[in-house]
Amino acid sequence: MTGIWSIIALLFFPGGLFVLTCGLAYEWVDRKLIARFQNRLGPRWFQPAADVLKLLAKEEVVPAGVNPVLFKWLPVIALAGALTAALYVPMAGLPPAFSFPGDLIVALYLLSLLTLCTGLAGANTLDRFSIVGAVRTLTQLFSYEAPFMLALLSPAIVAGSWQTSEIIRSAGGQWILLTQPISFVIALIGLMGKLELPPFDAPEAETEIVAGALTEYSGRGYALFRLGRGVELVVGLTLVAALYMGGLAGPLDFALKTLGLLVVLALFQTLFARLRIDQTVGLWWRYGALLALAQMLVIVGAKVIA
Amino acid sequence: MQLNLDQVWGGALDKLKTWARVNSPWAIHYNSGSCNGCDIEILATLTPRYDLERVGVKLQGSPRHADILICTGPVTLQSRERLKRIYEQMPEPKFVVAVGSCAISGGAFQGCYNIVGHVDAVIPVDVYIPGCPPRPEAIIDGVVKLLESLKERGRVGERERAGRSAEPGAGDSETEEKPQQR
Repeated sequence: MTGIWSIIALLFFPGGLFVLTCGLAYEWVDRKLIARFQNRLGPRWFQPAADVLKLLAKEEVVPAGVNPVLFKWLPVIALAGALTAALYVPMAGLPPAFSFPGDLIVALYLLSLLTLCTGLAGANTLDRFSIVGAVRTLTQLFSYEAPFMLALLSPAIVAGSWQTSEIIRSAGGQWILLTQPISFVIALIGLMGKLELPPFDAPEAETEIVAGALTEYSGRGYALFRLGRGVELVVGLTLVAALYMGGLAGPLDFALKTLGLLVVLALFQTLFARLRIDQTVGLWWRYGALLALAQMLVIVGAKVIA
Repeated sequence: MQLNLDQVWGGALDKLKTWARVNSPWAIHYNSGSCNGCDIEILATLTPRYDLERVGVKLQGSPRHADILICTGPVTLQSRERLKRIYEQMPEPKFVVAVGSCAISGGAFQGCYNIVGHVDAVIPVDVYIPGCPPRPEAIIDGVVKLLESLKERGRVGERERAGRSAEPGAGDSETEEKPQQR
């Protein structure tokens, strides 16, 4: 019985099909919101699905000078990492499909896998734009990763547990974002850095380096990377909403909270212009990491006194 | 029975592919020696006033991601090799739209010492959009005509598949009607 349940969890809900559909839907909401903020009509509701299907049906060019095995398998690993992370977070407001003490850390590392694969994919090709893009992707990874981790670990320290469901239970429906506003903001903006959304899209700046690390990818590989990014958007939003907004009570609660966060992300994307890569690094290490550390010190101090 | 099942699945898959292609044309823009008039009009087409994202058109930087090569201007001797290379870098299926009088015939630059000629002399073109420069409405009309022809091609493909699997000889007579496929 548990075997059948595991297969359903992997293939349909909450992993696999459900997260992929959710990722496409959230990508559309994101694009539509940005279009409306820019006074445009925006794409139709099936646009991300049509894009991915078209890319899957296209020819895949393997350029000269790459390692073909890495070239073909990196997109698969990236998508698999993002899909696996979905199993450890409370998707759709239901308890996580798999849970053990320490699953928060596993989910965070699985989410980083997509960025690492993008960097490797860029470094694998001989094209100069991909290599510049790969260097920028990895530089950005090292700048936002530490503050992002520190920010998401603050609620864990308060709860005294590394297990996502345990943290939510100990919060007891309280919105942690009211008591830890700094780490909430850092976590939300860290998510934008992770997804390379506009203020932090220097790694794929089309005005400078064509399409960044994924310049040489066409067809299937590019489709899988796009799907992975959609999945990561959903998983990241779920994680932030569950940890900071008093848990997710059910599907409706899940949709309201994550879509609310998505509106904030879309606003940030339309408001800010692209940062240079050195500005991104400076922002995260000079302000992000220090603020997250200060927040953590206050929490640890309060715990010691109490 | 097996053959029939294949045909049904193949037909459905073809329909899905054509639908996806028609609804998500990503474009790349290349200027092979134009005076910039047509390029400004293409940029105007992509601005919020006309907003081509509502029909799925997105401007891509990399030829590897693009389906449609929007080409402006006569082809100069210097840009001939680059135009060819960009076309060869695009993955199949790919389509070319020539925008403006110069791309169609050489226009005002016809007979110049540094000109190869029109775009069709270098790479095969699917749709020509006349005008000097063509208005954004004309460019949108050209792209829509290309997408319509794509739908037609999908239908021809389906008919061929049906004819081929019905009897082996039937496919040969239909190859004459088959549009030029690259």
